[in-house]
Amino acid sequence: MDYLINGFSNAFYLLTHMDAATLSAIYATIASTCYAMAAALLLGVPLGFLLGHCSFPGKRAFRLVSDTLLAFPTVLIGLLVYAFITARGPLGEYGLLFTLPGMAIGQAVLALPIVISWTAQALEDLDPRCRETLLTLGANGRQLALYALWECRYAVGMVCVTAFGRVITEVGVAMMLGGNIRYSTRTMTTAIALETSKGDFAQGIALGLVLLLMAFMVNLALAFFKRRGRA
Amino acid sequence: MFRFSRFLLLACAAGYMVCAAPVLAADTLMMATTTSTQDSGLLEYLEPAFKQETGIELKWVAVGTGKALEIAKNCDADVLLVHAPSAELEFVKAGHGVDRRQVMYNDFVIVGPAADPAGVKGQTTAGALKRILDTGAGFVSRGDQSGTHKAEQKLWQQSNITPDKNPKYFSAGQGMISTLNMAAEKQAYALTDRGTWITFADKMGDKNPLAIVVEGDKALFNQYSVITVNPAQCPKVNPALAKKFEDWWVAPATQQKIAGYALKGKQLFFPNADK
Amino acid sequence: MSANLYEARNLVQRYNGREALNVPHLAIEQGEAVFLTGPNGCGKSTLLRLLAFLERPAAGVLRYAGGADGRKEATLLLQDPYLLHMSVFNNVVLGLKFRNQTANLRQTFECSMQAAGFDEPWKFADRGPYELSGGERQRVALASRLALRPKVLLLDEPTANVDAASARALAQAVKNCTADGITVVCSTHDPALLRAIDIREIKLGSSWDAEPAPLLCPSYPRR
Repeated sequence: MDYLINGFSNAFYLLTHMDAATLSAIYATIASTCYAMAAALLLGVPLGFLLGHCSFPGKRAFRLVSDTLLAFPTVLIGLLVYAFITARGPLGEYGLLFTLPGMAIGQAVLALPIVISWTAQALEDLDPRCRETLLTLGANGRQLALYALWECRYAVGMVCVTAFGRVITEVGVAMMLGGNIRYSTRTMTTAIALETSKGDFAQGIALGLVLLLMAFMVNLALAFFKRRGRA
Repeated sequence: MFRFSRFLLLACAAGYMVCAAPVLAADTLMMATTTSTQDSGLLEYLEPAFKQETGIELKWVAVGTGKALEIAKNCDADVLLVHAPSAELEFVKAGHGVDRRQVMYNDFVIVGPAADPAGVKGQTTAGALKRILDTGAGFVSRGDQSGTHKAEQKLWQQSNITPDKNPKYFSAGQGMISTLNMAAEKQAYALTDRGTWITFADKMGDKNPLAIVVEGDKALFNQYSVITVNPAQCPKVNPALAKKFEDWWVAPATQQKIAGYALKGKQLFFPNADK
Repeated sequence: MSANLYEARNLVQRYNGREALNVPHLAIEQGEAVFLTGPNGCGKSTLLRLLAFLERPAAGVLRYAGGADGRKEATLLLQDPYLLHMSVFNNVVLGLKFRNQTANLRQTFECSMQAAGFDEPWKFADRGPYELSGGERQRVALASRLALRPKVLLLDEPTANVDAASARALAQAVKNCTADGITVVCSTHDPALLRAIDIREIKLGSSWDAEPAPLLCPSYPRR
């Protein structure tokens, strides 16, 4: 029980004194998460849009695959990406393993199914009258697509925030691909894992509290999007 | 409408610059090492001096010895600092590593419940291990192919015992602290490196349910060595930097620093580069 | 060649295999205004959607004598209209943006809103869709169609769910359209609307009527 109490006081100390290692871990977390989210969104939103908005042969099969990937075990994602970016792997020449970009790749793969499937769903849930209205006002294909997506913007915003929350709290992938190198790829979650494995539970809890704070802010954003979506 | 996409673009650009910007330091060396060297605090203690005296930025991943060797085989690391001599020799023999040099040693100790139900205090390692299983007292193993685990397996081998089928042999598959925690919970015995033991005992303070029961046996000697990943197999390895790395570790000044490193007031590692 | 803007022969529409509309012959002249009446489920909305080129008929021929892209010239006001999540102003000028006719947006907005019965258009310009009553929404949707200066205005039960004031405004707007030479096809149940505007009535679903070409209609519900 002591370590719980110690944990809270440590957390307070960390946050008020801005300990260098903690700052570096926060920075690594935010940096890799943003990078991963950018990649996941740039790839995922257009794909999800196509899946939700257009009709083409095999559409249902694609959607089924994407939805199934939502349950893809994260450790398996880590292994697969590891196999690709290791020096002996197909992408070995880029030296991505044990770097922030390498870790971000794994996180992006983690976020991608969420972005694709939920964006597709957001578009499918779009009122069919919206499409008809745009068409009858004279929209061409491109305008129809853009404005339909814009109309779902709050739902898509929620997708982003959800994926962000998922990525920022992921340990396994970050550990496997980043290597938990201090001041480099040590993120909040891998730092927590390390501290607990070293027996320093108090420190682990302290970092966990900081991470909770970040997750809280994400959820605040989610609530904001939900409210605006109803307006 | 497109204000949002512009923001997104900026976020991507920022993220990219932040992550992929080249490190400003001169040379970097990637080391694969074990959790004991990291968790003992030795690396953090030595690294500033290393950087200052060689100008090389040392980055390391701390994993189990088995994984460290795998990482090196896959050319994802440049040098190794591990403690599993037989595995290391095989590694070098197979051509994956070159220039193996011993740098320091510490030792393992067998710990168990303070009351010592198996009555193994003061015995030799072989004798103690046999007694632990015979009396059904329970033994918790790392079970993760780490250096400690490999050493433990060697000890069982030397005593001609195969513990795996014994119901009281628990293969934890976790790090050293977790393994010790498990041993404490189960009132069982375990093999640990002294460094982690010192940390564990310090954390537990007066409430430590475990105590050292066997130590000092030559079999518990734990040798650490540095190896360079073979540049012939892994072209990315910079032989000049690796040599600087190895030279630094065996240099008398460094060896002295190693001896000077104390964890909770106790010396942990004993330099033996020239022996 | 007659001055028929629309001419349909044996027009059939099916949804999921069920026949929703079956029209042996239909002709609407350019500049004409007609009411479509008939019991529920007899295909009035379906016919309007076909005339708006939002759907293709399952069988039959629909000839349109206007420009190449009928959809850009004929616009449909849905029964329960949809306004996008943007301000009233942006909703009204949306169609103009699609056509790149962004020259006099503010003026067009004002005119269209007034034509739709809003005396003070700028009071509504910044409101969002949820800040409007049902009748106001209906009229904003109408304004967005009027802003396009369409060749054909199709209305699906425009006064069905609105308050009396909005209904009157809508009726007036329709009258003005017919005066401007816009071809208007309006489906309705509303007797007040029928009385307000004296135009040809096409009855769907009657077994006998005074029209030269009776239209038949199967009694299947749409979709």
